[in-house]
Amino acid sequence: MSANGLKNRSGLVKLLPYAFILPPMIYLVVFMFWPLSRQMYMSLTNTRIVNPNRGRFIGLGNYERLIEDPAFYVSLKATLVYTVLTVLIGIALGVVAALAIDRPFKGRAVVRAILLFGWAVPGVAASLIWLWMYNERSGVFNRMTELLGIGRFSWLTSTDYALGSVLAVTVWQVAPFVMLVVLAALQSVPQEVREAARIDGADGISTFRAVTLPHIRPSIQLAALLVAVWSIRRFDIIYLLTGGGPLGSTSTLVVKLRQTAFEGHELGMASAYGAVGLALALMVAAVHYTVEQRRMKRMSR
Amino acid sequence: MMTPRKLAMKALRYTLIGVLVVLAGFPVYWMAATALNVNSQLYGTGQVAWPQLQHLPDLVTELGNVPIGRWLFNTLLIASGGTILSLTLGALAGYALSRFKFHGRGLVGFLLFMTQVVPEALILVPLYAMFITFGLLNSLTGLILANVGFSLPVACFVLKGAMDAVPYEIEESAIIDNCPRFSVLTMIILPLIMPSIAAAAVVAFFAGWNEFLFASTFLMDNSLWPASVGLASFVGQYETPMSAVLGAALVFSLPAIVFFLLIQRKIVAGLTAGAVKG
Repeated sequence: MSANGLKNRSGLVKLLPYAFILPPMIYLVVFMFWPLSRQMYMSLTNTRIVNPNRGRFIGLGNYERLIEDPAFYVSLKATLVYTVLTVLIGIALGVVAALAIDRPFKGRAVVRAILLFGWAVPGVAASLIWLWMYNERSGVFNRMTELLGIGRFSWLTSTDYALGSVLAVTVWQVAPFVMLVVLAALQSVPQEVREAARIDGADGISTFRAVTLPHIRPSIQLAALLVAVWSIRRFDIIYLLTGGGPLGSTSTLVVKLRQTAFEGHELGMASAYGAVGLALALMVAAVHYTVEQRRMKRMSR
Repeated sequence: MMTPRKLAMKALRYTLIGVLVVLAGFPVYWMAATALNVNSQLYGTGQVAWPQLQHLPDLVTELGNVPIGRWLFNTLLIASGGTILSLTLGALAGYALSRFKFHGRGLVGFLLFMTQVVPEALILVPLYAMFITFGLLNSLTGLILANVGFSLPVACFVLKGAMDAVPYEIEESAIIDNCPRFSVLTMIILPLIMPSIAAAAVVAFFAGWNEFLFASTFLMDNSLWPASVGLASFVGQYETPMSAVLGAALVFSLPAIVFFLLIQRKIVAGLTAGAVKG
């Protein structure tokens, strides 16, 4: 091979990684990041659904309307409450479940499988099951409350219960995922350390706090990030269970976006809702990133 | 001999496990039990709390009146198409990230992480506009293209993790022998990470299987509906008996339950890897 050929080859070798990385990245730019930037631009226009490729630039008009619209604050509050409660309850239940089935016992494999049901059932199927259980006339919950003599509840149509009912379904879906993440982390806790703590006379709770918790904390944090981001993104079960109602009490930003766009036909306004949703999701990711960096630094010290 | 305290702890633990099993398992049990009830019980006298297998023929007849077969076929097309595309592109990206240092690597990592944070709903409207322009609205192709944006990165994380575990020496001799790098990937690396490919395939497949938001927005023809949209059309509609609705939901859920339980650890690894690398 001539020297010239070799030189060309090393030039090609530098380009080689791009032959692999460019097709997937171009794909993501075309079908994710270009649409995303168009969405951000669209929030500055008065685009309507009849002609979604045309819209007049109106600056911050949509955001001005958003700030003055009480429905926006209802939606923002619903999103925040829904996200925070899903994270808190989902993490708590997931960790408790993981600790409960961490040590071997008879039938553990079956129990583990059953505990994962909520996570494995598709969202639309989960919505149908729970809609039937919440059914006011014939649902199993109201049959039980009637037997208990406390009457029937409007699980999904009363502003008092709707968000809680949607939360229950959500927790049923996400707690098993938290459990799996924590279970994986628990395997990394050295059994000898736990034994040693116990021999030293530490009771279960102090062993947990001193030995187990530090080991699983990064995983819990990671699970919290994912659950928070999923809560901001979630559409199917909220839309199918309540459609965002009653009186907007479950209309998270994402549900509101879909409705403003395809029922209200105002794409510009819908995009403004979307921008707020994106900002929330990015904030969660940034918090996670900062905490993660700080932990890395502490560990390397 | 167990001390009373230990015995009490043990009892507490098993009670807790029992409660969790009921909370987690009951909805699925109830789905099956409802599917095997007759409707006079469901709406009138009260649902029988256990599945009545003698009503299985009734359920089969009822399901015959629901286009569940066609819906599942569409779902299968959407999920399979998305899986093939995600794995192909995910393997390329995974190999690049696993084997090369290059300019823009950090940017690639950031963009892949972003896909896991961006709400799907945010690109719904622009994709809708784009699909109108290119004639992809109301087509399964358009839907698959939209879905893959979210499943490709997860496939990439799973495959990259598996490739990282393959020692470089294995491909070294092939590279010295001037074997094209693409063939190194397809002939040497990929056969070595088959279990992870299978896991990535399951993740991508069920992302497409379960998807609802894009499908319900982009597909107008009900002959194109996947099962998720078809089943959702039962909401607020009272002609179809609940036993048939939940029977269809059960048929739709079973494959997902089986595969999720089979590869649960791999799915978790894939979903968490992306968030750590950000």
